[in-house]
Amino acid sequence: MTQRPDSPLKKRFSFAGIALIILAGGGWFVTRLPSSPFDGAAPQATPDLIARGEYVARQADCVACHSLEDGAPFAGGLEMGTPLGSIFATNITPDPQTGIGTYTLADFDRALRHGVTPDRRRLYPAMPYPSYEKMSDDDISALYAFFMNDVTPVQQAAAQSDIPWPLNIRWPLALWNVVFTTGQTYQTDPDQSEQWNRGAYLVEGAGHCGSCHTPRGMAMNEQGLDSSDPDFLSGALLDGWFAPSLRGDGAAGIGRWSEDDLFAFLSQGRNDHAVVFGSMTEAFNNSLQFMTDDDLRAISVYLKSLPGQGPGWQAQPATVTSLVEAAQSGLPGAETYMANCAACHGRDGLGQNEWIPALAGATSSQGTEPASQINVTLNGSGRVVADGMPDSYRMPPYRDRLNDTQIAEVLQFVRSSWGNTGTPVDTDAVADLRMRTDPASVAPIVLQMR
Amino acid sequence: MQLNINGQTHEVDADADTPLLWVLRDNLGMTGTKFGCGLAQCGACSVLVDGQVTRSCVTTVDMLEGTEITTIEAIEQDDVGARVVEKWVEHQVPQCGYCQSGQVMAATALLKEVAQPTEEDVRAAMINLCRCGTYNYIKAAIDDLSGRKGEPL
Amino acid sequence: MDMIKGLIPGVDPQDFTHGAPVNLSRRSVLRGALGIGAGAMVLGFGLPSGTARAQAAATMAPGSNVPAFLEIRPDSTVRLLSPFVEGGQGIFTGMAQIIGEELDADPSSFIVENAPAGADYLVIGGQMRITGGSMSVRMSYPLMRKLGASARAMLITAAADQLQVPASELTTEPGVVIHAGSNRRIAYGDLATAAFDLPVPDPETVALRDPATFRWIRQPVKRLDVYDKSTGRAEYSIDVTVDGMLHGAVQHAPRLGLMVETIRNRDQVAALPGVHAVEILDGAVAVVAQRWWTAKRAVEALEVDWVEGTDLPKGWRALPADFSSDAFAQELAAATGPETEAEAHGDAPGVLDAAQTVISATYHSQYLHHAQLEPPSTLARFNPDGTLDLWLPNQAPEQYQAAVAGLTGLEPAQINIHSPILGGFFGRHFLYPAASAYPQAIELARRTGRPVKVIWTREQEFLRDPMRPMAAVRFRGTLDDNGMPLAIEAVSATEGPTEAVYGHGDSVDETAVEGLSKKAYAIPNLRIAQVYVENPVMLAYWRSVGNSMNDFFYESFLDELANAGGQDPLALRKHLLRDTPRLTKLLEAVVDLSGGWKRGPFTAEDGSMRARGIGMASPFGSEAAAIAEVSIENGQVRVHDIWEVLDPGAIVNPMLVRQQIRGAAALGLSQVLMEEARWDKGEPVARNYDMYSILPPDQMPEIHVGILESGAPIGGVGEPPLPAVPPAVANAVAALTGKPVRRMPLSRLRFDS
Repeated sequence: MTQRPDSPLKKRFSFAGIALIILAGGGWFVTRLPSSPFDGAAPQATPDLIARGEYVARQADCVACHSLEDGAPFAGGLEMGTPLGSIFATNITPDPQTGIGTYTLADFDRALRHGVTPDRRRLYPAMPYPSYEKMSDDDISALYAFFMNDVTPVQQAAAQSDIPWPLNIRWPLALWNVVFTTGQTYQTDPDQSEQWNRGAYLVEGAGHCGSCHTPRGMAMNEQGLDSSDPDFLSGALLDGWFAPSLRGDGAAGIGRWSEDDLFAFLSQGRNDHAVVFGSMTEAFNNSLQFMTDDDLRAISVYLKSLPGQGPGWQAQPATVTSLVEAAQSGLPGAETYMANCAACHGRDGLGQNEWIPALAGATSSQGTEPASQINVTLNGSGRVVADGMPDSYRMPPYRDRLNDTQIAEVLQFVRSSWGNTGTPVDTDAVADLRMRTDPASVAPIVLQMR
Repeated sequence: MQLNINGQTHEVDADADTPLLWVLRDNLGMTGTKFGCGLAQCGACSVLVDGQVTRSCVTTVDMLEGTEITTIEAIEQDDVGARVVEKWVEHQVPQCGYCQSGQVMAATALLKEVAQPTEEDVRAAMINLCRCGTYNYIKAAIDDLSGRKGEPL
Repeated sequence: MDMIKGLIPGVDPQDFTHGAPVNLSRRSVLRGALGIGAGAMVLGFGLPSGTARAQAAATMAPGSNVPAFLEIRPDSTVRLLSPFVEGGQGIFTGMAQIIGEELDADPSSFIVENAPAGADYLVIGGQMRITGGSMSVRMSYPLMRKLGASARAMLITAAADQLQVPASELTTEPGVVIHAGSNRRIAYGDLATAAFDLPVPDPETVALRDPATFRWIRQPVKRLDVYDKSTGRAEYSIDVTVDGMLHGAVQHAPRLGLMVETIRNRDQVAALPGVHAVEILDGAVAVVAQRWWTAKRAVEALEVDWVEGTDLPKGWRALPADFSSDAFAQELAAATGPETEAEAHGDAPGVLDAAQTVISATYHSQYLHHAQLEPPSTLARFNPDGTLDLWLPNQAPEQYQAAVAGLTGLEPAQINIHSPILGGFFGRHFLYPAASAYPQAIELARRTGRPVKVIWTREQEFLRDPMRPMAAVRFRGTLDDNGMPLAIEAVSATEGPTEAVYGHGDSVDETAVEGLSKKAYAIPNLRIAQVYVENPVMLAYWRSVGNSMNDFFYESFLDELANAGGQDPLALRKHLLRDTPRLTKLLEAVVDLSGGWKRGPFTAEDGSMRARGIGMASPFGSEAAAIAEVSIENGQVRVHDIWEVLDPGAIVNPMLVRQQIRGAAALGLSQVLMEEARWDKGEPVARNYDMYSILPPDQMPEIHVGILESGAPIGGVGEPPLPAVPPAVANAVAALTGKPVRRMPLSRLRFDS
């Protein structure tokens, strides 16, 4: 109910990079309407199709950007910061003036899978059409049926981007698409099981997991859009959170997780290794918690098949086990940990079963990018809602209780204890994130679709 | 599940992630352990688990099978706890008293770990909040228990 | 009456007492109160049993009906129903001392509980009773002595009857009546049944003990509640249970003024295991369940659509969706409007307008939470006989009783208010609209037909805790040729808690300006005024009320004037108080306590640069002076020591007074160092102690305490030590940094080490 945490899609696009690929091209090419298999097709709207479309909308997490906590569903308005200015998610209710009420099924398809509006404007790839293009024709027509029939039209014009001319010229994105999208729907891999293919379809397509978890290149392109690319889902920093590797990397990824662990995480938001936090909370609350067990199991099978690198985390006994010991140890951060963290995360850093996450062995405790740990310490984490039920315990923000030095020290303690191998935390990095972020909401937030 | 609380075994019917605090207060009617924040910020809910001070508002009951839990109700059955209570009375520590169950538990845990804590040990271990501002009295009582008896406040 | 009006200006004592007088017999009263103290389970009890010994309270002056206050058990234990509630201040012990002194019973033989609502207990001016305003002892001291003396006289009369000797031949020792002539002794416990059937003597006729022979009053008698509070035995409202009780948890609307439009998933949540009911209440949704934890989790799962309410309950303020406390502070600083004068003499505006040099400054205070550690709760039970029992934290039983009568349509006599000890209060538990769980508990008990205990989480509490007011004070000052203040004008843009709760009138709200007004300094030209600005948020009394911020403003600005005139702040104060011996002595006492005046900056033994500041206050009939020593550590202020001397005129228990000085000083320190309840986008930024810091132990300095008994009329103790501390700290920081501190809290500022 309070401030909405930063959206994972509040991306910062490097238009310098985009500029590199701006080449003179045929005016026809960059302003054309791509063809759609639905050109001339009559839309359908059976109750089954609409219901399926509603489910696809959850898979694709449309509300994440197109709804605001206090606004009408899909009426748009989410601000996404870029280095050049802000862009705003549009109204995608079927309102004829300000929404998509006049869109044909083919128009809808072109916007969703190709990033082109009926008036031939190009969408910024903040709209994850490079992923959505993998969605099947059936899912697209189902989604259309849902939006046109069950979403309430709202007359609300989208806020205008404040990116100045000429940087706001959009036609060069057509060329970007040539380079960075495949233009194909998902292609079944005959060597893999049906379940695996279903998982791949969801992860690479509607789920658009790569939008956060795949590192981006100079042109803000995702470096890999499918399982064939070793960079795909290998972890990325986005807007103050490090979305970790979803590959089988030993320490930094999910190499230690079983398929059942993955399934538990995707369905309940928690397992013995980790609990959803940071910007993943939104993806979980608005999308994953609504997905069927079959689909989540398929995703687990698929993700578990992605190979990784590096050895797994090896537990080491804690160096400090009590406040008194912490005070006597002289270890920077140890006393802060015991006083502020140990009550929940344990003196051994192991957390409490699946309820409160372990810091020992956590992917966020390893590696060179501590942004997520800094962020969650400063701001706490939003409430995780699984099957409609908010979590029992929330991570509180510590920005008011601990200063930048104390946070850097306590995270350094966490990242170097119990076998963790994370790099030290810089006080300036804490100060920087403190300035750029806000504390998480105390109230559970699940965005409604109707 | 079975919980060993104050030397007695209790059969408890609660969800695995229920905090010990509410099992104590509601299921078992032991209301000496207090609810203050529910967020491990204040310490009013402190109990001992295997002798270590533990904030029961964020401790799930499924973590506690096979442990020995001590609450304020049985604090005087512990030799150290009895001494702490005695000094709490002697130094007239409590005002509203709402945080004091937790303060007594924290002090007991400290003194069980180190019989003569230094001032630094006390500062590190006595971190529970008190809105009445009894901190000077808490310190005086623990200093006394630590063999550093000063002027009574 | 005047006294009451002076204490809570603008408040008609009738506000606290409207509703019919409640004539409960001693027996039913005691039984009711006994139930709660006797253990976890409270058994049902009925209305008056109609014994002859019950005396109609209305026929006796409040505070005099001995059986309504005292019960002496066979073992001579004395049960006292205190007119004031214990919330940490030690009033139960103080009452036992005062009454025990005259009753001739050792205070340690007392068991004290809070009295129910009833006319017998309206001991403040015979009109009302609240536990607040630091009034308990000073308002009831003579009355409670007479009560003890009356009880003793009744015991002697009963003994005379039993021993068949003239009463004049009897004396007492603690707990015993003695006939020296026959060397016979009868314990009070053996006399009480007969004694309390006797008529109560006229209080004006009973002899009082010569204060020179006091054995307990003025002694550091140990608190009666310390052992129970050190062993978890003390029972607060939140701990009370009754047979058949269900638990309630609520989710408040994110802004006051919003009402429930719909609950999207009501049926799903209602079907959860252990859930008994899902209910819509005014500005809230509630779940009633077998266990509180079940109710709490379920109520958080409710997906509620809120809508702006149109017909809000009386006293609710609909908060604007864009409300920001930072923006409101700026609004206050710029507020113009009618200025209502609180105090004026000489011609401050004229002198200031003509002055060549005028020192001007705008000061700010912040909203504060009470942040008492016990979250609010209420247990409500409707009884088969139509009566309603309520257990709830409160500082004003009759006020609550009248409000519940209005809410339910019951007669006040049908509403039994139980007032367990408070887990801290600091002004939180007066009757404020929308700030208490009792309407929710009553409604849920009515709808479910079961007793229901509602407990607010800390997060729900911080959504509805009414605020200590915020103020912006515009000062102007000028100096005479000697560098001494010639004129001071202070215009405070604010709203006092009294006018916020009871309505804004034409006259100045003294709770808005106290601490700016009524300072003892001899300023030749002075003007104190208020610009009334209604707050969008709900307001409340907070320990030491207006003084909690106003003495910070005034005393800090006084240091600014001292600096401008090249005066030492202590010397300046001594000069301005030269004709006020009581305060001159107080200043000297606090300076002596601190080992002599040393403003600094100076280098301390540990190498840190430090300075000291001084602050004074005259709240609630007492006088206080404090000195604080500070340094800067990691960009923030550290307070090393506070020396404070309080002169309440006369005292009952020096140990309790010392406790209150230390506790109040800690709260004042917490306020000036770190507390601030910020609002943004219509919601409180902090919903728990994570974002609302209160003073932690490692920031607590040693508080060195002195007590002066000047012999002036007895003043308050619980609140008066607070207001001198914030300015003492601020003035020390200003002395150290060379820059005035014009706003609280200091944590909002960064300092160079």
